[in-house]
Amino acid sequence: MERFDIAVIGTGPAGLEAAITAKVRNKSVLLLGNKGSSDKVSKAHTIQNYLGLPNIPGDEMAKAFLNHAADMGVEITEDKVNAVYSMGNYFAIQCHDGDYEASSVIVAAGMSAMKPFPGEIENLGRGVSYCATCDAALYKGKTAIIVAYSAEDEEEAEFLAERADKVYYLPQYDYVGSLGGNIEVTTGVKPEAIEYKDDQAILTTDGDTYSADGIFILRQQIAPSQLVPGLKMDGNHVEVDRSMATNIKGLFACGDITGLPYQYIKAAGEGNVAALSAVSYLADLKKSDN
Amino acid sequence: MVKKINQNEFKALDKSGVSVLDFNATWCGPCKMLAPVLEEVSEDFAGKANFYSVDTDENPDLAREYGIMNIPAIVVIKDGEKVDMNVGFVPKEVLSDFVSKNI
Repeated sequence: MERFDIAVIGTGPAGLEAAITAKVRNKSVLLLGNKGSSDKVSKAHTIQNYLGLPNIPGDEMAKAFLNHAADMGVEITEDKVNAVYSMGNYFAIQCHDGDYEASSVIVAAGMSAMKPFPGEIENLGRGVSYCATCDAALYKGKTAIIVAYSAEDEEEAEFLAERADKVYYLPQYDYVGSLGGNIEVTTGVKPEAIEYKDDQAILTTDGDTYSADGIFILRQQIAPSQLVPGLKMDGNHVEVDRSMATNIKGLFACGDITGLPYQYIKAAGEGNVAALSAVSYLADLKKSDN
Repeated sequence: MVKKINQNEFKALDKSGVSVLDFNATWCGPCKMLAPVLEEVSEDFAGKANFYSVDTDENPDLAREYGIMNIPAIVVIKDGEKVDMNVGFVPKEVLSDFVSKNI
């Protein structure tokens, strides 16, 4: 497997700047995320304080960022990251569509506005999971609940339904799909809490209560400590030092994920620092290899 | 070295001293990732602890005996008694600390 010098997760200002800086420093870069940059950029009304781009509408800013990245030869790989594993002197990055390897990783995945449901974190790994395709094999002859946040999740539901006896699908978006068979779709239901009792996962909602062998919560973003097992947090944010280094050697973080203020130029600045820190980490790594 | 064993072999094992059991499954992504990390850790603790790998699909009784609900799970056994357990993938430093504090 090709091992990239630096993998960058996230295509907001932090991730794009990190990837551009890494490219300037002649490193091989894997940039994972949304090809349209971050929604937080593209859907902003006007940004007034970004140096050099005065009073720019969000969609134009996103375009300017993406054009800059493209001009530098930075390509975006559109894939959803499930987990990043620190393997010692490299990282294994498990994505939806495949696995990747990189010597260092920069996490610029932004902040999720979504809060976990009561009981979600407590039951993670015993009834609660974030990846239906990963655990599908476990669900042969069993039942599952999927709480979905995007139409892309319908594919995951179909994959799971090939193995499971029954799948309850609760879309939290405007559902216009055509799931059927052993998939029961219920729209307009808001999950409230998760419990695990007698080997059954129980989801209470503002409507009915659902019970199954497991619950899959397919959010667009997952908590950083779930994304990178062993990552040290400071409240809701990833703990970093001034070089944007985390507690995991070779793994850096930048942008909103590291804390306030949530400003575009702060995110881009941190992306720059994180990339330069990753570059010097790679130099040290090379020295210690020789 | 991490030795793959089944539940019958485990029963017959001399359990004096410290044993570290890795409960895993072939379909479990984090387990696959943790295996090479544990292999490295086992080299560092050679002579101090014995390391074993247990497939939970093939050895459900042993998994039940040690209360395995999620995998990967690393269980430390001292003279036959379960003394500690760590669930989920952890980086090498964390796994090393976990094993060393139980020795």
